Amino acid sequence: MRVTNSMMLRSTLRDLNTSLGRLQESQQRTTTGRANLRMSDNPTATTVAMSTRQDLRRNEQMGRELDDARSLLDAADSALTNGLTTLSRAREVAIAAANTGGASQGASREAYAAQIRAMRSELMSLANTKVGDRSVFAGNAAGNAYDATGTYTGDNGSVVRDLAPSLSMTVNVTGSAAFGVGGSGAGNVFEVLDRLATAIQIGDPSAMAAEQANLVSAADTMSSATAIIGVQGERVLEIASRSADDKLRLQTQLSNVEDVDIVQALIESKEQETRYQASLQVAAKIIPPSLMDFLR
Amino acid sequence: MPNISSLNSAYSGLAAQRRVLDVTAHNIANANTKGYHVQRVDLVSAGQSATSGLFAGASKTNGVNSDALSRSYDELLAARASREEASLSSATTSSSTMAAIEQIFPEPGDTGIAHQLDQFWSSWSGVATSPGSTAARTELLSKAGALTSSLNRAAADLQGVHDAAAARTSSLAIDVNTLAKQLADVNKAITTSLGSNPDLLDHRDVLLNSLAKLTGATTRPAADGLVDVYVGNRALVVGEYTEQMDGSSGTLTWTNGNQPVDAPSGVAAALAATMTDVVPRYRAALDTVAASLVAGVNALHSAGYDTSSTTGRTFFDPTRTTAATIALSVDVAGAPGNIAAGAPVLPGPTAPGVLDGEQARAIARLADSVTGPNTAYRTLISGLATETNAATSRAALQEQVAAGATRDAESVGSVNLDEEMANLVSAQRAYEANARVIKAVDEMLSILMQSFR
Repeated sequence: MRVTNSMMLRSTLRDLNTSLGRLQESQQRTTTGRANLRMSDNPTATTVAMSTRQDLRRNEQMGRELDDARSLLDAADSALTNGLTTLSRAREVAIAAANTGGASQGASREAYAAQIRAMRSELMSLANTKVGDRSVFAGNAAGNAYDATGTYTGDNGSVVRDLAPSLSMTVNVTGSAAFGVGGSGAGNVFEVLDRLATAIQIGDPSAMAAEQANLVSAADTMSSATAIIGVQGERVLEIASRSADDKLRLQTQLSNVEDVDIVQALIESKEQETRYQASLQVAAKIIPPSLMDFLR
Repeated sequence: MPNISSLNSAYSGLAAQRRVLDVTAHNIANANTKGYHVQRVDLVSAGQSATSGLFAGASKTNGVNSDALSRSYDELLAARASREEASLSSATTSSSTMAAIEQIFPEPGDTGIAHQLDQFWSSWSGVATSPGSTAARTELLSKAGALTSSLNRAAADLQGVHDAAAARTSSLAIDVNTLAKQLADVNKAITTSLGSNPDLLDHRDVLLNSLAKLTGATTRPAADGLVDVYVGNRALVVGEYTEQMDGSSGTLTWTNGNQPVDAPSGVAAALAATMTDVVPRYRAALDTVAASLVAGVNALHSAGYDTSSTTGRTFFDPTRTTAATIALSVDVAGAPGNIAAGAPVLPGPTAPGVLDGEQARAIARLADSVTGPNTAYRTLISGLATETNAATSRAALQEQVAAGATRDAESVGSVNLDEEMANLVSAQRAYEANARVIKAVDEMLSILMQSFR
């Protein structure tokens, strides 16, 4: 093939340009730390990276829901545990009051009744425990779960949290489930305590006995609600730890598809640099001479 | 008389070598001229006729004929180079269009629409977790606003790619018309010039190559050594007559008859594909994302209940379902309380639970929907990445092919300075030798003259 000066010049320039382009790309990889500078560099990695990113965002978002679920459950759990202690103290007071016979003991009966009423309001404040603007025992209703008369002002709504992809969980018990259904039968725990205080005050032994029994069943209701909350809390913890594992896995996966192997990138960039310098030197030697240099 | 004949031969040799020298100088001067092909003097020995007689040899002499000039030109290689260069222009233009579209979507990253979508769904889950919080609702509205404006901007940027192609088409039409006129002028010059004129042919080839790069124009040989230029099946230049193109409307049409130009290759073909295929396709894909967002969110949202127990509210404006127009509805814009986060089937016995965020939760779950906007957007991006990748590698490949074809064509025609130097030296020596012959004849004649004195 006949080779001419302009051909050589052009091909040398093209090769130099290609070489410089490669050098620039590899340096850009090193400085940005990204394996793919554009989505078209690796379409498969782009698709994987996009869905991994979405999964990671969902994981973070569910992490927030997990935190919220945990604070709701923790609040409900400690309220119910404290409530049970209060109830057992109320039973002790009721038993002590029942053992105090005779009209002369009116003053001490008043004191017992006052204690029961104090415990009722203590329990009331526990039942109205709030996390943020939400009463944990009020279902999905706004405001307090119980008003001062002991009437339930919440609803029967389940508080649901999405804790993992396609896994949502109820993270509440309603006031009715924890403290009994008011207005019918024995009524809720506040009604029981109300009647108990009255019975102690007027010294009605049969009523006191009946309310003591109601108190026991109210405590049963509360402890089974505590058990439900406990089970829910355990599941949330378990899901949280799995979610943390997932997060790590997703981050690793994302880093695998998006991040550059820095050692490899540095070596590559060095290699391109050497190649570019070599082609520059060759070009400098090849282009100038022609027959003209030798005809003098 | 042989002596006088050799004088004539030597004279023709002098003239021929001077011509060779002239042409060599012309070659060297044009060593870097675009499209120049090396010219050679076709030296032909002038047929012999040793007629005797003092001045008889003037017309029928020995010696060398140096009238013919030829250029080193291989028609097939040149045609191939021109065709491949036209394909390269088309591939490069497509690839830069794809790169421009790719830049509209900075994925994967923290600035793209995918990220905005994720944040949008995440805000819905924020509202689901605390439906009573105005802060969460306001955040949702602002994220939704960011998402819709991102979609609007992407659609506008796509339109920008279309508009740039249209603008380029209209300037391309002007270039084509100018080139066609110049070509017609060159054709005219070729017909009126006497004998072959290699420089004019080179000039014509340069114009033809430029036309091919712009429109993929092809040539057909015509009478008198002229060529006619065709774009698609229609003639652009026939002899001295030219057709005109018009690109002022953004699409390339023939001025005469107003029919669209069917450019088979070159920049025009790539620009036409950009405007009629590539941009509309991605706009439609982006519109799918927007429509699925509007439909999916609105269906759930209008079934839900807002803080004042009103139902039937839309979240996105249901009449604006394209990426260019998508916007929040008047129901919720600036009114965070009107976001319907509450479930349609109320679990409680009473009025809608104010803190019931079930509907917001259902909307947040659209993030995972395989028919939802996220999937539609991912499909768009993966298609775009693949197509851009293919366009880039096609351009790179075509560059190799075109470089090879051009090199082959150049290897025939371009100037090699070593060769010219050698020619220069050989012409110089031959000139000297011819001068020597004249001197020898002169000496012989003087001897002859003196012998008669």
